[in-house]
Amino acid sequence: MSAPSNNLPPVESQPPLFSIRQLTFTYPDGTPGLQGVTLDIHTGERIALLGLNGSGKSTLVRHLNGLNAVQKGICLFEGRNIESEPGAVLRQRVGLLFQDPDDQLFCSTVYEDVAFGPRNQGKDEARVDELVRGTLAAVSLDHLLCKSAHNLSYGQKKRAALAAVLAMEPDVLILDEPTANLDPFQERLIRELLAGYAGTLIIIEHDLFFLQGLCDRALVLVEGRVEHDCPLDDLLQNPRLLIACGLDFTFRCTGPDSAAATAGLKPSRIIHGEKTGGDHLRSPRTGEPFIELQRYSYRYSDGTTALRDISFSLFTGETVALIGENGAGKSTLALSLLGLYRGDGHLLLAGEQVSESELSRLWQRVGMVFQHSTEQLFCPSCREEVAFGPRQVGLTDAEVEHRTQEALTLVRLNGYEERVPLNMSHGEQKRLAIAAALSLHPDLLILDEPTAGLDLRSEALLLQILSDLPMTKLLITHDLTFISRLSRRTVVLHRGRIIRDYATSEFLNDRRLEEIAGLDYGYKRCCYQAMEKALEKRSDFVQDNQL
Amino acid sequence: MKNQVSKVIVLDTLESSALAIVTVAVVSLLVVLFRRRKKHRYSDNREPDWSIPVLDAQSDGSSFFHSWHPSVKVGTLCASCFLIVSLNTLTWSLAAVGICILAVLLARTPWERLSRRLVAISGFLAMLVVLLPFTSAVRPEDTVFLIFGMENWPFHQRGLIVALTIVCKAVSVVLLMEPMLATAPFSRTLQGFSGLGLPRKLLSMIALCHRYLFVFREEILYMQRAMRVRGFVPRTNLATMRIMGNCFGMLFIRSFERTERIYEAMLSRGYRGSFPAGPEPPKTVYDFIKAAICLVIALLLLSVDRIMPSPLL
Repeated sequence: MSAPSNNLPPVESQPPLFSIRQLTFTYPDGTPGLQGVTLDIHTGERIALLGLNGSGKSTLVRHLNGLNAVQKGICLFEGRNIESEPGAVLRQRVGLLFQDPDDQLFCSTVYEDVAFGPRNQGKDEARVDELVRGTLAAVSLDHLLCKSAHNLSYGQKKRAALAAVLAMEPDVLILDEPTANLDPFQERLIRELLAGYAGTLIIIEHDLFFLQGLCDRALVLVEGRVEHDCPLDDLLQNPRLLIACGLDFTFRCTGPDSAAATAGLKPSRIIHGEKTGGDHLRSPRTGEPFIELQRYSYRYSDGTTALRDISFSLFTGETVALIGENGAGKSTLALSLLGLYRGDGHLLLAGEQVSESELSRLWQRVGMVFQHSTEQLFCPSCREEVAFGPRQVGLTDAEVEHRTQEALTLVRLNGYEERVPLNMSHGEQKRLAIAAALSLHPDLLILDEPTAGLDLRSEALLLQILSDLPMTKLLITHDLTFISRLSRRTVVLHRGRIIRDYATSEFLNDRRLEEIAGLDYGYKRCCYQAMEKALEKRSDFVQDNQL
Repeated sequence: MKNQVSKVIVLDTLESSALAIVTVAVVSLLVVLFRRRKKHRYSDNREPDWSIPVLDAQSDGSSFFHSWHPSVKVGTLCASCFLIVSLNTLTWSLAAVGICILAVLLARTPWERLSRRLVAISGFLAMLVVLLPFTSAVRPEDTVFLIFGMENWPFHQRGLIVALTIVCKAVSVVLLMEPMLATAPFSRTLQGFSGLGLPRKLLSMIALCHRYLFVFREEILYMQRAMRVRGFVPRTNLATMRIMGNCFGMLFIRSFERTERIYEAMLSRGYRGSFPAGPEPPKTVYDFIKAAICLVIALLLLSVDRIMPSPLL
C-alpha cells in the first residue's frame, strides 16, 4: 500500500506548483472560510487534506481550481498569480471532483458527460472517443456508456463523475470525498485508479484507512487554518495529535474481526439452511416476524430490475445490517418495507398484509432515515422538524413538545431547537433526521447509509447514539465498524437477490463474498490491521521512551 | 332554434341509451387496454443494454429518419407540423394521421412511448370532443341531434366534426414528434435545432432542464416521502398550505444552491459559455431529397384540403 514512485526529482528541489501565502477568505454572510493559510504544493505530491466538516477544506481546493476569487493573500500556480491565469486554462489542468456527483453530471448520457471536458479542451473527436471509452472502462462503467445519469446508482454516478475529470488528463487531481457512499469494491477500484495516477493528487476524505498508503503528506485544517502539515504516517501514528485535530479514529480500531466478539455477539441462531427463492438462504427462526416481504419483486420504470423474488423478515428487537454493492437494491428494499414502493409480492406487518390504505398504520411503527437525509428536512427550525410527525398523527401540544425534547436529547441536539436545519453541519442534519424519525416512537428504525459524508467525530457520536437506541434497527451501510458494533445479523443483497442471511460474525469471516458479490471487505480488514499494528508499534515506542 | 337549422334528428330513449352504452363501453375498453399494457410493460424481464445508444437498440439506426441529418430533419418536420395544423377538413386530417402513422412505422420507434404521449394529451382532446358538440355556434344547414333527456343541450354534428378534426391534427403532430425527436440522440437533436438558428444558450438551458428535471423530481419525491412517512396527509386547510409553502421554499433554496454548484462544475471542466458540440455528420443530397418528399406530401395534403372540400366538412 505504498504510494507509487513517479520518477520525479525530490519535491524540495522543484519550484512549487502552488504557492499560497496568508490566504484568507470570508463568505458573504461573514463566516470565515480560510484564515491566513500558507503552504506550498509541489508537483507529484500526494496530499491528504483533513479536518472536521466546516474546517475550510473545500474552500481551499476551490481556490486551487480558480473557482473562488482570492480576497486576501497570495495564491500562485507555477509562479503566476492564479487570478491572472485564464480560468478555463487553469481548470483544464487542475481537475476537481465535487462531493455530489449529481452536480457534475449534467449531460444527457454518461458518454456526453465524460466527453464534455476533453471537447472543451479542443481535442479532436477520435481522441475524445478514445479518452471517454478508456476512462469509463477504468471505472468499470463501459457497459453504461449510453445510460442517462439520472438512471445511474449513486456509486455509478460517483465513478462516472471521476471518469469525467480523469478524461481531461489533468496535471493536478483534487477529489472532494471520493468514497462517500461507495461499496468496498468501488472504493478499491477508485483507490487503485488513484494509486496509478502520476500527477499531483489532493484528496479530501474522512476515511483515513482509504488515505493510508495513497497519500504521503497530511494537511490538517482547523477553523480555516493549517494546524498540521506533516507526513501522513506520522499523523496516523500519533493518537494524541489525532484527538487534538478531531481525527481520532481509534474507535474503529477494535477491529471488525474482534468487534463482533467484543460486542458480545453470541453464535447466531441463523444457519445456512434450505434454499428459498433462488440463492436466498432463509433464516429458520420461529415466531412471527415484525415485518416481512414475501416473494417480492420490484422493477423501475426504466426497465431495471431492483429486487427479484426476495423473502425478507425482521424480528422484534434485532439489529440487522443490510449490505450489498451499490445498485444491489438495498434502498429499494428499505422503501419497499415502508410501502413506498409497491412491487409484486406481499408486505406483512406483524403477520398481517399491509394494503395501500393501511400504510399510515405502518408508518407509525416504522421510521426511516433516508440516504440523503438533508433532503428529508423541510421545516424552518429543528423544533418544527422533529415535532412534524407527532403533530401529524394528532398528539396533544404537551405530548408533541415532550417527544420533541426527548428525541433531540437522544441525538444530542438539545439546545438546537431554534436552529435552521439548512444551516447545520452534515452530521447535525443526520442526527436531526434521526430525531425526526424517533419522535414517532417507531418500533423499527431503518437507516440508509447513516455514516456517508460524516467526519470522524460525528461518526463516533452517531455510533454511540445508535447503540443506545433500543428498538429494532435495519442498518444499510458499507461501514464495517457500524456493522460489527451494532448488528448481530447481516443480510447480503446482490443484484436484487438475497444471497446471504447469517450472523454478523459469520459475515466478518466470509472470505467468499468478494468472488460472489464483488464485496471486497478484505481490503478494509487489511487497513484495520495495518492501522492497529501502527498504533501498537507507536504505543510500544512511547512506552519504551517513557521507561 | 329549429328555424335556424335544416335538419333536427331526435334520438328516442332506446337510441339515446344505446349511444350512452356504446360511449361508456369504448372508454372502459380503452382504459382496460391501457392498464393491461402498463402492467405487462416489462413482463419480458429483459435488462436494457446501455452500452449501445437506446436508439440503436430500437432499430439498427438505418431507418429513413435515423439516417437523416438532424438539422434538415428537424426543420422539415417542424414545417410539416405547421402545414398539418393548417388543414381544415376532417377527411384530410384523417389522411394526415395515416401518413404520420406510416412515418412512425418507418422510424421503427417503440409504440410504448408514443402511446404514453398520446395518453398525456388525451385529457385535453377528450374535453374538446365532449364540449365542442354541445357548445359550438349553430349555423344554418347544421344538423342537430336532440338526445332524450338532454333536449336543452342540442348535440351539433358540425361541432363534433370540428372537434374530431382538431383531435386528428393534434394526434398527427404528436405522431410526428417521434420521428423528429426520437431518431437521434438528444444532444444531436439539439444540435439540429442549433443549425436552424436557435440560440445556443436556449438550447443549453433545454439540455440542462432535461437532465435536472429528473434530479428535482427526485428531490421533491424525497421530501414527499419524508412527509408521508411522518403522517402528512394533504388537506385543503391553512396548515397544509403552510407545510407545502415550507416544502417549496426549501426546494427553491436547494435548487438555487444546486444551480450554482452545477455551474461551478461546468466551469471546472472548461465550460466557456456553450456546450461543446460533438461531431456533426455532413449534409448530403439525400437529406434534401427526404426533406423534399416530406414537404411535398404535406403541401399536397394542404392543397387537396383547400381544393377538394370533403363530404364530411
